[in-house]
Amino acid sequence: MLTYVLSRIKSSIVVLFVVSVITFFVLMIIPGNPAQLILGTDATAEMVADLTESMGLNKPLYQQYLGWLLDLLKLDMGTSYVYGEEVTRLIIRSIPVTISISIFAMAIAVFIAFIFGTIAAIKKNSIIDYFSRSIMQLGVAIPSFWIGMVFIVYFGMKLRIFPVSGYVPINENFLNSLKSIILPSVVLAIGELGTLLRIVRSSMLDSLKQDYMDMAKVKGLSAGKIYIKYALRGALTAPLTIIGMQFAKLAGGTVVVETIFALPGLGRLVLTAVEHRDIILLQGLVMFITASVIFITLIVDILIMFINPRIKSFQQGEL
Amino acid sequence: MNETVLVKNLHIKAGKNTLVSKTSLTIKKGEIFGLVGESGSGKTITAKAIIDLLPEGLTYTADEIITAGKNILTASREEKKEHIGKNIGYIPQNTVFYLHPMIKIKNQIGDGYMYHMKKTKKEALKRAESLLIKVGFKSPKTVLNYYPWQLSGGMRQRCNIAMALMNDPKLIIADEPSTALDTTVQKQVMELFKTINKSLGISMLLISHDLGLIKHYCHSIGVMYAGQIIESGSREELFNNPKHPYTQLLMKIVPSLSIKKNEPLTEIPGYVPEKGRDSRGCLFVKRCPKAMEVCSQTVEEHEEKGHYYRCNL
Amino acid sequence: MRKNVSFIIGIILVFIIIITWVLSFLYMPHSPNEMNISERFLKPDFQSEHILGTDNFGRDILSRLMYGSRNVLLVGIGSVTLGTVIGILLGAIAAMFDRFANTIIMRIMDGLMAFPGILLAMMLVTVVGRGIQGSIIAISIFMVPVFSRLVYSMILDTENLLYIKAARSYGSSGKEIFIRHYIPAMLPRLITQFSSSIGSAVMIETSLSFLGLGVQPPHASWGLMLSEARQFFLTYPYLAVAPGIAIIITVLGFNLIGDGLNDILINRRNDDE
Repeated sequence: MLTYVLSRIKSSIVVLFVVSVITFFVLMIIPGNPAQLILGTDATAEMVADLTESMGLNKPLYQQYLGWLLDLLKLDMGTSYVYGEEVTRLIIRSIPVTISISIFAMAIAVFIAFIFGTIAAIKKNSIIDYFSRSIMQLGVAIPSFWIGMVFIVYFGMKLRIFPVSGYVPINENFLNSLKSIILPSVVLAIGELGTLLRIVRSSMLDSLKQDYMDMAKVKGLSAGKIYIKYALRGALTAPLTIIGMQFAKLAGGTVVVETIFALPGLGRLVLTAVEHRDIILLQGLVMFITASVIFITLIVDILIMFINPRIKSFQQGEL
Repeated sequence: MNETVLVKNLHIKAGKNTLVSKTSLTIKKGEIFGLVGESGSGKTITAKAIIDLLPEGLTYTADEIITAGKNILTASREEKKEHIGKNIGYIPQNTVFYLHPMIKIKNQIGDGYMYHMKKTKKEALKRAESLLIKVGFKSPKTVLNYYPWQLSGGMRQRCNIAMALMNDPKLIIADEPSTALDTTVQKQVMELFKTINKSLGISMLLISHDLGLIKHYCHSIGVMYAGQIIESGSREELFNNPKHPYTQLLMKIVPSLSIKKNEPLTEIPGYVPEKGRDSRGCLFVKRCPKAMEVCSQTVEEHEEKGHYYRCNL
Repeated sequence: MRKNVSFIIGIILVFIIIITWVLSFLYMPHSPNEMNISERFLKPDFQSEHILGTDNFGRDILSRLMYGSRNVLLVGIGSVTLGTVIGILLGAIAAMFDRFANTIIMRIMDGLMAFPGILLAMMLVTVVGRGIQGSIIAISIFMVPVFSRLVYSMILDTENLLYIKAARSYGSSGKEIFIRHYIPAMLPRLITQFSSSIGSAVMIETSLSFLGLGVQPPHASWGLMLSEARQFFLTYPYLAVAPGIAIIITVLGFNLIGDGLNDILINRRNDDE
């Protein structure tokens, strides 16, 4: 069991290292001198040379990389030239928005996916099943920016239930804060719902076919016991793994939604960094978001090991 | 009532395709009834029809199905479920997946007992412990705390048996209960059945393709071929006086110690037919060494002092 | 039977898009970039000259929609094709060469897979530049790990198949085995993955265009049309309807075909999904 955890940690560190190499070198081959970019076109050659020197841009690439990596480990990601602020501070300030809409969206999606996925599997080819299968396809095919625009017009402008844009911090006014994240969260949730529904339904169908279901039926248990204790229990592993991965990736995928709803989150920072070619900010953001993805996936995998005891036994060479 | 199971004229169909036809069987109180046949002969689905566990897509009809004193055909779905759960124990062939792999033994062994007998979890565990001792575990508490995959095949099968015994059933259906086990464990499990049958007086339906095993443990035997019981009766009658050519051939095939040197092993040429099982004639006609012209048209049923067979001879 | 229905719907949807694409070369009601300030914000009207109405510059929405299909399909199919080719090569190299090549390639693929999709695309667009080319390159790199992992695992699986071992044992050459056995074994999964990937590529393309990082104005792309509609759609909601539906039709179509192929080619008898 410990070996499994250790090997998962080891492989996560390897992936993290590869990610850091990709992030650094990909953004370094960008055409043009970053110093020139920062100073703008009016800067004299001398000023550019000075900044190049002080940023260490004239050192060999691998030395630059090692320096960057060391700073990164000290949580020093440099200073954004667009904002003129430390990247770390910018990230810390933007996290609450992104985290709250991601968690809220995931909660909505998981809730609906489990209810509809389970019922769809039990009542295969019923109306609920057809409905769920349509949602599976449509959820993935509808662009979030489009549904976001529709929501803004309908709920924000016509019904005036929710604010159209902007974010209210939780400590300011809880209700308004909740209202400000509901629409973006629902939009995000619709995007996640398709994948989740599909996996819940198919693993539930799979579980329903298992021999232990025969046993539960022969025992004449109540429907609740049969479907929840036996079938759903056997169908949990795959959805939980996917939920972990989806959640992690969701945090990086909020760019579009944050743009439409004008939310000051991580996604907005990414867009600004890309628009202004703020390499230092972008490197920091990409590293931070991807590291979070890897970290969350790792935690979920370890948690799942506790839920699904069989992984332990595979590690111990049993079965 | 003297019978634990009474099935009359059972038919099982998958869509239009007949899988089991004209099958009747009687299991007397306290006896072990052996159902023997090649794979695909319909033994398992016959048993599954009795406990209402036919896979999706299969349907059955029958003139009469009575188990443990209740007419299953006239019972409502809910009654049927209650009755079967309470009175019939089922022991499957495959020991790996019938116990839920993600639930500890203690959390699945007693739930039927708690539900039907209205018992608390504590009472259920107490009973489970005593039954686990009965099926041969020395430290039942440890077993209860295991997940199924932490047990060996033989241990899992004994858990299944203990689980089937929880409600003091009237009938136990065991579908090839020892096939997946190795020989020594196989023997232990079968001896356990024998003991249970003797000491508790529980009737059993034992399904096997192993005629040797059936001969050794069963009081009555039904021989199944292509979805029909073609001969049935007491063990003595059947082995001393087999009437149906299929039964006769089957008995020759069973390797015995009396086989002479260089004597070739007999085999029945051909395969069990999968189609045309609703024919009026004898289904064994194509492989029967004594087949006559009339055999593919009709077949005669004989019954004499509990010895039943369907053959024109 | 029932699942072939969704496969057929997929084919029909993709067919609609392809017709639109072909028509965009043969006949468009107006020039997609022709501005006419006097005819701004005309509502959709089937009787009129502008069936789907006009936008804030008075450009004909139907024509822009048709023209946009060119960019969407070019980027969608182009990037997936590029990603497939590179992915197959890398996956095959990783599976057939020594441990060193295998480790390096597959670790890089793991790394690429770890990035959230849109983030990787945005990062790459920053490097290779905005526009159609940039989108194609960025999305293709996003697709590479999907295909290389698929090919890698399929080759390793196939390696263990008995008929391959048998072929080796009676002395077929490596090349012969690859062509006669590996390719046919891998084709169904590759085709299925290809179709589904086009759906996600189109989604990323429209997202990039929407964020202003993909196809650049004045050219038309569905994502860009939605982005331009953002400022006005509170007053003129119809601006957002047509491009949105076009995106849904395309993504849904390719995904349904992918699912259908998966059922037909891979799990022939599995009627669950």
